[in-house]
Amino acid sequence: MPGRAMGKLGYETDRPDTVVVGLGNPILGDDGVGWRVIAEVERRLLAAGPCAAPSDGSGAGVATACLSLGGLSLMEHLIGYRRAIIVDAVRGPGSPGTIDVLPLEAFAEARSGHVASAHDATLSAALELGRGLGAVLPETVWVVGVKVERLDEFSEALSPAVAGAVPAAAQRVLELLRDRQGLAPATQLADPCRGL
Amino acid sequence: MTRLTIDPITRLEGHGKIEIFLDDDGNVANTYFQIPELRGFERFCVGRPVEEMPLLTNRICGVCPEAHHMAAAKAADAVYGVEPPPAAKKLRELLYSGFYFTDHTTHFYALGGPDFVMGPDAPVAERNILGVIHKVGLEIGGKVIQARQYGHRIVELIGGRKVHPCTSIPGGVTKALKEHERAEIEKMGRWAIEFAQFSLKLFDDIVLGNPAYVDLILGDVYAHRTYSIGLVDANNKINFYDGRVSVVDPDGARLGFYTPAEYTEWISERVEPWTYLKFPYLKKIGWKGFVDGKESGVYTSTPLSRLNASDGMATPLAQEAYERFFSVLGGKPVHQRLATHWARLVELLYAAERIVELATDPEITSPKVHAVPTATPTEGIGVVEAPRGLLTHHYVTDERGLLKKVNLIVGTTNNYAAMSMSIKKAAQAFIKQGVVVTEGILNRVEMAFRPYDPCFGCATHALPGEMPLVLTIRDAKGEVVRQVRNC
Repeated sequence: MPGRAMGKLGYETDRPDTVVVGLGNPILGDDGVGWRVIAEVERRLLAAGPCAAPSDGSGAGVATACLSLGGLSLMEHLIGYRRAIIVDAVRGPGSPGTIDVLPLEAFAEARSGHVASAHDATLSAALELGRGLGAVLPETVWVVGVKVERLDEFSEALSPAVAGAVPAAAQRVLELLRDRQGLAPATQLADPCRGL
Repeated sequence: MTRLTIDPITRLEGHGKIEIFLDDDGNVANTYFQIPELRGFERFCVGRPVEEMPLLTNRICGVCPEAHHMAAAKAADAVYGVEPPPAAKKLRELLYSGFYFTDHTTHFYALGGPDFVMGPDAPVAERNILGVIHKVGLEIGGKVIQARQYGHRIVELIGGRKVHPCTSIPGGVTKALKEHERAEIEKMGRWAIEFAQFSLKLFDDIVLGNPAYVDLILGDVYAHRTYSIGLVDANNKINFYDGRVSVVDPDGARLGFYTPAEYTEWISERVEPWTYLKFPYLKKIGWKGFVDGKESGVYTSTPLSRLNASDGMATPLAQEAYERFFSVLGGKPVHQRLATHWARLVELLYAAERIVELATDPEITSPKVHAVPTATPTEGIGVVEAPRGLLTHHYVTDERGLLKKVNLIVGTTNNYAAMSMSIKKAAQAFIKQGVVVTEGILNRVEMAFRPYDPCFGCATHALPGEMPLVLTIRDAKGEVVRQVRNC
């Protein structure tokens, strides 16, 4: 691919070290919450100036993405990053709008070894596969999950409780970025997000 | 009556649920395959400009956005009565071939293949793509990732983005192909042909080389004699992007062809009280229930049905693979559903050859890629062959091009009746009085519908994703007497 340094498995070697991914479907009600949180994170990163994600990939900082993918496809988007933060809608007990911040391994789906809703493989299995093939993949994947209410009806609107949780979820993402959690010491270069 | 519930199914997009009812003797009385339907898409679309549909509909599903993008663009062409220039059609088909290459690769290596490579009774933790790579070799994993990457790259070069392409609009595409992009696609296409041949060889070695698997494929448990449909070109060869629909009966005789605009004369939908999803069937034959045979309007729309409904493949290597397929399996048509996995690889080779064919077409880099729509928009139907079955988009607009009505028949839906029948037959064969229901038995039931590659998801990826597969056996009073959890 012209203009970008590519490794043997296709990853860009000069990327930022962290990627924040919003997962979901923007036209399926509360499933779109991940994308909304990313928009808010981007807004705050831009406002913070030096933290703005260097889209040209200058070697440090934060990249953001909004995706509707899982499994192998999602893994392929994480190649080249040291750390990933995934913002997603979460089903389960608890009131809508509740925010959980957990490592990926904490989700039952990740442990069970099942190939899940991603049509191909669980993200955990895909990451294992990618690492096995020598790809540079995040050592830690954090999940910022927002409990949702409606997922089965087409709409561009979030439920009020879920919409209300967007600023707080964005804040949790920024806290993860600031704390540099999940980054090995060797990769802790100048912190572009200090003071957020 | 005892009730077994498989909920939800592993390796299936979206959430399906299988309920197995046993009679007093412990044999299978009936099975119900239930699929939750996402609601309100039609209402969501009404009032929007029809040219938004190629972008909107590719958000319906995270698995095959390219198929919706194409069907929507073709329906929008029809709404405006505009014919895209030849180069635009070829670019769309080239993109679509790249998508097919990725999708079929993923299905074989991640979904369908593990049952054969690892064996149907392997523990679920091994019966996945990691297990396949562990057994067959790490280099396979590298090739699969490479294949996917090339497919994504072709979609990106033509469609503007790696996922959710955005360049198809009423009248053509927004972007012509540059020579260096064309050369890159040609190179990837040549690699893709080798990869597809390698995959067919792997199938030969692992599946056809194992008498137990050949017996499994040829056995009666996974066979159903139904009608087959498939999109074909003017020579009745398979085409994924364009053409007319060929319909053949269970004996292989052609019932006829229909053009996309004639779909309402050929397809009706049956409503059953126990599921939201409708069951399409052949209107000319009629609905006779969930039964096989020439008198039953049940049909399939899968890689296997496409091979049955066509007269061959339009590219030379795929044609050889097509001939071998029918010669090994005893002639046309083939009704053994597990052979769908093999048929998918024949199509994989066709997709790869088609990439090279289109990338070396002198017209592919033509700057003429759009015809400006000038007619007043009215109504249009667009059809493509999605990997999981024929995809039909039908739009009606007002004179400003604002949508008044939207109807979609998605790939998997075509096969809903056939899948329900396959599940029942496998359940009756494997779950009998006195048999302890194990994970291996459950998997053999699941193997009945996996060839159809059902996909009911619509890009919902809410965590925690799929729950583990749970089997619940209830006694006549509805109380749980046994539960199997394969995690």
